Amino acid sequence: MSDISDRENSQLLLSTLPAGRNQVRLAWAIALCLGAALAVTAPFARQTLEGTAPLLPAYAAAVLVNELITATLLFAMFSVQRSRGLFVLAVAYLFSGLLVVPWGLTFPGVFSETGLLDAGLQSTATIAAVRRIGFPLLLLIYALMRDPAAEIRTPEASVHWRIAMAVAAVIAMVCGLTFYVLEGGALLPRWMADAREVAAAWQFVPPVAIALCLAAGATLLLSRPLSVLDLWLLVVLLTAVIETVLLAYVSSGSRFSLGWWAGRLYGLAASSTVLLALLSESVTLYVRLARSLMAERRSREGRLSMLEILSASIAHEVNQPLGSMVTNADAALRWLDRPQPDLGETRAALQRIAEDGHRAGKVIESVRTMFKKDLGERVALDLNALLAEALQRSVRDARPQRLVTQIDFAPDLPKVTGDPLRLGQVACNLFANAAEAMAGQLERPGVLRVATRLDGSGTVLVTVEDDGSGLTDAVRSRLFEPFFTTKSQGLGMGLLFCRSVIEGHGGRLWADDNPGGGAIFRFTLPADDDAQPRV
Amino acid sequence: MNEETTAAGNTVLVVDDDASVRESLYSLLRSVGYGVRRFDSVQTLLDDGDFAEAGCLVLDVRLPGQSGLELQRTLTKAGVALPIVFITGHGDVPMSVAAMKAGAIEFLTKPFRDQDLLDAVARGVEQMRARSAETAALSELRRRFETLSPREREVMALVCSGRMNKQVAAELGLSEITVKVHRGKVMRKMQADSLPELVRLADRLAGAAPPSASKP
Repeated sequence: MSDISDRENSQLLLSTLPAGRNQVRLAWAIALCLGAALAVTAPFARQTLEGTAPLLPAYAAAVLVNELITATLLFAMFSVQRSRGLFVLAVAYLFSGLLVVPWGLTFPGVFSETGLLDAGLQSTATIAAVRRIGFPLLLLIYALMRDPAAEIRTPEASVHWRIAMAVAAVIAMVCGLTFYVLEGGALLPRWMADAREVAAAWQFVPPVAIALCLAAGATLLLSRPLSVLDLWLLVVLLTAVIETVLLAYVSSGSRFSLGWWAGRLYGLAASSTVLLALLSESVTLYVRLARSLMAERRSREGRLSMLEILSASIAHEVNQPLGSMVTNADAALRWLDRPQPDLGETRAALQRIAEDGHRAGKVIESVRTMFKKDLGERVALDLNALLAEALQRSVRDARPQRLVTQIDFAPDLPKVTGDPLRLGQVACNLFANAAEAMAGQLERPGVLRVATRLDGSGTVLVTVEDDGSGLTDAVRSRLFEPFFTTKSQGLGMGLLFCRSVIEGHGGRLWADDNPGGGAIFRFTLPADDDAQPRV
Repeated sequence: MNEETTAAGNTVLVVDDDASVRESLYSLLRSVGYGVRRFDSVQTLLDDGDFAEAGCLVLDVRLPGQSGLELQRTLTKAGVALPIVFITGHGDVPMSVAAMKAGAIEFLTKPFRDQDLLDAVARGVEQMRARSAETAALSELRRRFETLSPREREVMALVCSGRMNKQVAAELGLSEITVKVHRGKVMRKMQADSLPELVRLADRLAGAAPPSASKP
């Protein structure tokens, strides 16, 4: 029970849905592109691009929007799945996104020569250092806590409260940090030599950031299986490494140089890709869910109307013998009440009452058989042998008529698992139908052909062919309706029973026209020796 | 004109595809003295086509092939005015309304009380008997009218339209004596005791469909 729900959940959430082959390929492609970009950019990295400072706010805004959306998505996922890891991850994105605001505002030479908010030389760099190290650090924490099973079991309201608290705390932290950076400028490490070039203190930041990125990535890779989310986080980490390498080493930390800009833009492009991938995955999942929900609803409606038809049919079918019983009893009483009681007529009427009782019982029994959930015993069966025996029995029971049987069994048919009694009944039903369809033809013997095949997809296909009267369109459309029958002595439950048994065994039953006249009934059953894993 | 001369019999026709129901109806109706003939479908009933003795038709609504309601229309179109008692497995209001509108005696839902069915059948048979008596009387009247000579028919028509013997004589160019003789013959042949009775008989003859129609 919990096993199933766990599996179903993991199919529904990006944080637990295993990454597919195509997604892994796409991630590799992006990683390779980033690597190539690094190689191409490297020779020109130090070249300074003058007058590009005004572009910085656009970049900052893009990063802010990107990371806020990602954080929102992650918080939404957390509100459903409630894993600590997701919570940390969402906080990481929110923190990183919000830090971009003071970073952009204080950046020297963008809004003013020294940056807004009375920023000092070290302010922007401090924020950058916190962001650059804080983000991979939080990702590492996520990787370490990543355990899909570890859910925070809290009520709905508490989850929203927790998220609100987290957002408030992150905003407070970012504001506090900004305030501290702006006010306590004197205590800050000397990151920057001037507005463009980094000082010695900065040399510690990139290696720490890269180390944290690599550690987080390794942790993620070690704790397989990778979820879709983990896969894209790996891309993010790789991007962060490449970005850091470009910014810190290839461009040797020089602001507004080609390498510096390239690092930023690759980072932005990669994070956008991640966001888009997450969004498209979410939408795909949503569509899939909506579709399955609709299918579920449709099938429920179908079942309901089927139930209505069935109950109306059962009512009618039970009413018939019931009415006859009452009338027979009345007749018997009247025969007895005559001046000269007619015992012969009374006896006949009573006999008919007994028969009607049996008939009503049979209706009830067939309904019960149809709705029985359990499949009886399940054993490995030689379908060929079972069919041969059923065929022999059917031919013996068939009304005396000229009937030719043709058997075309696959010699190496794998076994199937099922209830031999029920499957035998299905076969007998189909054979009897075929024999009856051919009972009317006098000029030539009817040919009943039974064949088995192993289908490519690990299912066994059984074909029952006759060259009898065939199916009219009106008959075909109602073939599997309860109590629909073309026979004078039929309940109209046979094919419905067959279908429910076959479907209960994981197979399918359907009817086609025989090109040579007559009808073909086919059913499939899953084969036992199934080399391919069943989905 | 007495009851015995009418051929409308005590025979009830039962049409039901369900053998068990058919037999039970057969037994019940026979137990109270009806003659019963059984049919398993509308087609076998129509193939038989002998409604002469039939007093009532007990008909299942849901039948394979032609349904009970369709048979009702077919019979009405063919001019067979047989009273019909419908029985059905499940009460369907629109269906019963349609059947009753088309002139059914009763619409019974199974399982029904035997008395309800027997009452309905009795009503049908009675209706059929009355209708047959009416038909028989009319055909007797026609038979009498057939015996009149053309001249007598002319005289009868004029007399019944209220002319005096003298006027009739003038109109037909006959003597009043001759008209009186014809008039006497008409009264005798039509078995009318008085002029008002003769007028009434003439009205009935005029009101009924022409003798060629098979409508009973």
